Amino acid sequence: MEMEVKKKSTFARRLAVLAAAAAVLLAVNLAVPRKKVPPSVGVRTLKDLAELATVEYSVTKIVSYKDVAWYGDRKILFEAAATVKAGVDLNELTDQDIKLENDSAVTVTLPAPKILLFNMKPENIREIFNESGILRSDFSNQEKDGLLSQGEKDIRAKVGRMDILQRAARNARILLESWLKKMGFQAVHVVFRGKGGRP
Amino acid sequence: MKRLLAILQIVLLLAIVFMLYNPLAKIGLLPSLSSIFHIQQSRIDETPVIIQQVKNIAQMFTQTFYDETVYDTGIIRTPVLSANKRLIFIAKGEVISGFDLSELSEKSIIRRDKSIVVKLPPARILDVIINPSGFETFIEEGEISFEESKKFHEDARRIFERNAREKGILKNSAEQGRQMLEKFFRLLGFETVDIIIPETL
Repeated sequence: MEMEVKKKSTFARRLAVLAAAAAVLLAVNLAVPRKKVPPSVGVRTLKDLAELATVEYSVTKIVSYKDVAWYGDRKILFEAAATVKAGVDLNELTDQDIKLENDSAVTVTLPAPKILLFNMKPENIREIFNESGILRSDFSNQEKDGLLSQGEKDIRAKVGRMDILQRAARNARILLESWLKKMGFQAVHVVFRGKGGRP
Repeated sequence: MKRLLAILQIVLLLAIVFMLYNPLAKIGLLPSLSSIFHIQQSRIDETPVIIQQVKNIAQMFTQTFYDETVYDTGIIRTPVLSANKRLIFIAKGEVISGFDLSELSEKSIIRRDKSIVVKLPPARILDVIINPSGFETFIEEGEISFEESKKFHEDARRIFERNAREKGILKNSAEQGRQMLEKFFRLLGFETVDIIIPETL
């Protein structure tokens, strides 16, 4: 009987010590602030370009995400629009790329076309649906930015597989031929360098 | 009773272990529990990219301005009983300027033997780009709706454009356009090249 009482009091004492330790630690946890990496601001720089954009694609994509869990789901849906411009980088033109046969004939070798610009404006992104279960937190802006970044990455990858570069090359050829003819050249040949150029 | 006390003891021990770990994770000495348990990154669903429009353009990009800014909304007061809001984010992007050559007409190019005169339209800002991957949320307090955050993001784009103008992007753009075209026309065999660009305000 006495043993039983003694055992119980040891148990209770141990529990009290643990509870006290937990309380102290709880206070420490609340007092320690979460580490935040201070934002760094990069240098603002101007840089020269020499690019000729010849085609602009406007594309849309539905960005959807379902976060399914046993304690509740979260679902979100965006409609995002982006513009992509492609053309040629004239910085890559060298003296050898322009061949004058006489004063009225010219052959211009242009670098391979590439995507020059990708723009997904905030004003062209719409949140269509957003729902979180009772036990789930709402999507934070950080999470939304992360999901939209994935959408951006996907659009970039898929646009690259479209015919945008072929159209950019065709338009660059038409444009240059027309300008050079306006300048008085009677025979104008615009060709493209093989694969290569800047990625 | 004995079993209950034993369970309570285990629960307290686990709580202590968690509370010993948590402050160290908070100050960055240990990985956070969420990062340990969320091994799989949230992936968006596979959906197609639809082409809405294809436009033939003739734009010459002659200058880019890279910018990075910290945007702080400050404390946004809300009605009583609602938590105040604040959003601080870092925005990274670029401003592109140059010429819209589709504005060139027959009269814009005048050739006389080995001389050429080209009248360009004024240099202007062609694009301000801050894509979703260019936004990084630093602090988010209170409930900020998507529409609200969109307005702040659009404001960041206006700041980028203003900064670029203040840095003289249009002046540099005009100068770079002039140099680039001069080089191009000289390669075409012209000895006198005159590029006329109207002043931009």
